[in-house]
Amino acid sequence: MKRIDGRHLSLILWIVGFFLMWEFAAFLLDGVLHDPMAAKKLPYFHAVISETVLNADNILLQSALTALRAAEGFLIGALVGFLLALLMDLFGVVERMALPYLLASQMIPILGLAPIIFGLVKDLDMSRVTIAAYMTFFPVSLSLLSGFKSVDIEQRMLMRSYASSKFLYYRKLALPYSVPFLFNGLKIAAPMAMTASAFVDTLSTQNGIGSIIIVALYGGGTTGQFWPAVLAASLLGIVSYVLVILAERVVERFIPRAPKEAAGEAA
Amino acid sequence: MNLSQDRTEICLKNIRMRFQMKSGDPINVFDGLDLEVYKGEFISFLGPSGCGKTTLLRLIADILQPTEGIVTVGGISAAEARKQHKYGIVFQKPVLYDWRTVAKNVALPMEMMKIPKKEQEEKVTEMLQLVNLEGYENSYPFELSGGMQQRVGIARALSLDSEILLMDEPFSALDEFTKMKLHEDLLRIWEATGKTIVFVTHNISEAVYLSDRVCVFTANPARLAGIVDIGLKRPRNEDMLISSSYLAYMGEIRHIFEAGYEKD
Ligand SMILES: Nc1ncnc2c1ncn2[C@@H]1O[C@H](COP(=O)(O)OP(=O)(O)O)[C@@H](O)[C@H]1O
Ligand SMILES: [Mg+2]
Repeated sequence: MKRIDGRHLSLILWIVGFFLMWEFAAFLLDGVLHDPMAAKKLPYFHAVISETVLNADNILLQSALTALRAAEGFLIGALVGFLLALLMDLFGVVERMALPYLLASQMIPILGLAPIIFGLVKDLDMSRVTIAAYMTFFPVSLSLLSGFKSVDIEQRMLMRSYASSKFLYYRKLALPYSVPFLFNGLKIAAPMAMTASAFVDTLSTQNGIGSIIIVALYGGGTTGQFWPAVLAASLLGIVSYVLVILAERVVERFIPRAPKEAAGEAA
Repeated sequence: MNLSQDRTEICLKNIRMRFQMKSGDPINVFDGLDLEVYKGEFISFLGPSGCGKTTLLRLIADILQPTEGIVTVGGISAAEARKQHKYGIVFQKPVLYDWRTVAKNVALPMEMMKIPKKEQEEKVTEMLQLVNLEGYENSYPFELSGGMQQRVGIARALSLDSEILLMDEPFSALDEFTKMKLHEDLLRIWEATGKTIVFVTHNISEAVYLSDRVCVFTANPARLAGIVDIGLKRPRNEDMLISSSYLAYMGEIRHIFEAGYEKD
């Protein structure tokens, strides 16, 4: 119980600290350095908030657009990553053949890849989903594969002693054991999928939270929405991360893990 | 026909095992080892670390295959015996699944064999009684002491009612008191079930106390140096640990070790 309270307290402190630092930096720029562009370079946090509230409808709508496509891509990418990890673990040949491609695929900067995909599919939503999936599958498949590979040798021998089928080996041992690894991959991937989807927004200036940013930067006009949009985009990443953690908690109720401090608490 | 043949549960013939080391040179464990384990006996593989005890147990379990030689278990090949679930195995570590309750861990081999749920539950209750863990059905392994975890491992190995129990230094990580208690439990279970038990240990006293026969191994090169019949009467009890015949067996085994090394 004590630990939970401590965690909440530190979260509140963190938020308050963040707010104060922002306000202080904005004050330095505006009140101390008297920068004439201060309101554009770094507006006060409270100004950003009131701007956000003013444009809440549009910000929410555009965020949802970006986030939903990111979520679709995330789910597809997670599924692809899962299957890839399974295939690589099952067949050494697949691992040897696929791994160089996987690594190479992550060397292509998304900056270049996103326009290529957009040019190919010519559809903004499809591009968002594809790029988000592309960002997701890699961390998921590598994390899960490293889970599969770190299954204890004696745990495997036990399965062998039962003359276990491959299916039962994964179902009873490798998968439940690798759940924490899978979630580590998902935690890395979720904010990446959000960022990727928002990046695709910037390719066209039609819609999505990313398009607000790019229009505000280069298009003039709705400059006021730049900071609220940046704030919203960051929040999307954080929210996606938190959602994965919540999902992990739910799964842990069915597949519990040994607490790391169990040994210490028993003593 | 042959009486001793009928009594044989596990037969190892002319076993050679070669391990390819990463450094290059292969190492040879056993140089044509022959050994028979009789039905219903409690037999120990005793020797220093590195003498091949674990390897031998894994050969019987068909977790490893010999480079040369034949292993039969219950009259069929080791591979076939494994497929027919002829043995249960206990490791040095408990090797429990953290995400499963005690009851679910014990039920694992039965789940693998798709035994009906109802039957599984009855068996789990019976097994937990046998290893003195009633009331811990819904605990998780990490909530138990090392000794209790090892008991869960034993209950799991017994839950399929296989005729053979293979145990690889099951008590070597436990303290003396827990170990003594588990010795009593194991002998009681053995007497109640009539299983064949192959017990690996590096502890001379433990081997003598538990076994009908003790196979003494030496390392470098790994080989069987001799087999000692332990004539102590059953049921065994702690008073025997200071009897002169017990000490004589300990002496005999030490002697075999020393002779085994002098040959090199
Ligand atoms: N997988 C393996 N690869 C290479 N050498 C091994 C392997 N397993 C066992 N050995 C070697 O075989 C010998 C016997 O090992 P082991 O059966 O584990 O002995 P024990 O259980 O008696 O301590 C040792 O010298 C060990 O180095
Ligand atoms: Mg060993």
